[in-house]
Amino acid sequence: MRSLFWKEWHEQRWKLAFGALILVGFSVIGLRARVIADETMLEAVCFLAVPLLSVLSSTGLVPAEREEGTLQTLLALPVRPSLIFAMKAVIGILLCAVPLVVAAIASMAIAGGREISAASIIELHLRTLAATLALFFWMLALTVRLPTETRAALVTMGVLIMWMIVTVGLPQGWNPQMVSSRFWLVDPLVFLLGFRNGKWGVSLALAAALQAIIALALWLWAAWQFPRPLEARS
Amino acid sequence: MSDAPTIEMSGVVKRFGNKPVLEGVNLSVPAGQTFAFLGRNGAGKTTAIRMLLGLLKPDAGTVRVLGLDPQKAPTEVRRRVGYLAEDQAMFGWMRVDQIMAFVKPFYPTWDDRWATQLRERFELPLATKVRHLSKGQGVRLGLLLALAHRPELVTLDDPTLGLDPIMRKEFLRDLVTYLQGQRVTVFFSSHLLYEIEPVADAVAILDRGRIVRQATTDELRAKVKRLILPAQAEATARGLPGLLDFSHGGRQIAVVVEDAPAATAVLRAEGVAADEVDLNLDEIFEAYVIGRKEPASAEPLLERVA
Repeated sequence: MRSLFWKEWHEQRWKLAFGALILVGFSVIGLRARVIADETMLEAVCFLAVPLLSVLSSTGLVPAEREEGTLQTLLALPVRPSLIFAMKAVIGILLCAVPLVVAAIASMAIAGGREISAASIIELHLRTLAATLALFFWMLALTVRLPTETRAALVTMGVLIMWMIVTVGLPQGWNPQMVSSRFWLVDPLVFLLGFRNGKWGVSLALAAALQAIIALALWLWAAWQFPRPLEARS
Repeated sequence: MSDAPTIEMSGVVKRFGNKPVLEGVNLSVPAGQTFAFLGRNGAGKTTAIRMLLGLLKPDAGTVRVLGLDPQKAPTEVRRRVGYLAEDQAMFGWMRVDQIMAFVKPFYPTWDDRWATQLRERFELPLATKVRHLSKGQGVRLGLLLALAHRPELVTLDDPTLGLDPIMRKEFLRDLVTYLQGQRVTVFFSSHLLYEIEPVADAVAILDRGRIVRQATTDELRAKVKRLILPAQAEATARGLPGLLDFSHGGRQIAVVVEDAPAATAVLRAEGVAADEVDLNLDEIFEAYVIGRKEPASAEPLLERVA
């Protein structure tokens, strides 16, 4: 298990560093420059973080290995495929979480209590993490059978765009206040947009619980699909 | 060592969609044997080998490896089997020492001293990244990883594919040297027959998803022969038992039969004189997979045995 973690970590650590660098860089530069309000700046960083981290973490885990042919080598080892997949998912979650944690710490160090409280910064980053993770599981599940990283990247972008369209309600146009009147329970982006007026409590609990169930279902489905050879489809 | 076969496949069927790949494959490989699995590209060799590792599930039939069902106990099977895949992709960013350290924890029987000996014999530089190894070094590294845990069965899927002839000879020399010191069952697939001949105890010929012949190499060489007959004996030749290939050459007919003593007995009974010509494994394989029973002029070039 340690061996698998070591391998995944070595393969993905540059993506983690890249994600952290981008988020911390934007946060630090934006909060120091003070061109816009701190809250607006942090929200912009978090809006950037969701697509960046979810796409970055999901595309390289399985499709890249299929493309290089190393997935077959990995699956031929005497280890359960579910363990290999679990390790990949853990690394994916770290790829989503660590840059956000680092960015939150940097933001609190620079702007905590200045215009917004440290607690609000943590809350904003937690909501961003929830949205990123929910999207990550969608993307992981929908790319697990793809043979190339490029196709996976296209699919992940498609997933992102689909949820953005659902979130803003295409027929009504952009209106964050009516976010997902129908879809808010299952919409990953609801964590970013849906509770802006501080309406936590039941709404959040319901959405979080339902999306956790959806994420688990997506993960189980992907874990089942993961070891199946592609030619079996033909 | 147990008398039970190391590998047993019975009535194995596999389809990918509507495309049949294996159609009722029956195979038995005794312990300690070096067994060559022969077939043209696309014959189904890799599919069969991947079933042995539990990487593919048969649609029908049973597979047993070391007495275990690879579908039910894939981890146990893979711990006891050394596997080198066709054109195996390695993790290019790892160094040789790193890939050895990565693979080692998966095998409780990994032998560090043996791994080091193999690495030195294969002249693999420890600190070189896998992506910087030559093709030959890559194959040797794959072999090291397949052997270092002292497996009871070594499964090699076209291991010399992509190597130049010198490298292929070196690779087989390494393999044979290893085999001389070990009582390990080796199951390897290839379509390069001249490579197999010096090392294989037995062969199975797979053609279009079916095993068309399984025998020891000695038995094949003793029984499968080319018979040269006078052209007048054409009718008799066409009725010979186990006819694999038929060719007309002016005043003579050449046939390949899978049981020369039986065919010779028939010819003798008919009063036909025949010269026997020994065949190498390459020619025997060719007779099985592209042999013709009709004159070449009347048939398409690649007409096969019905």
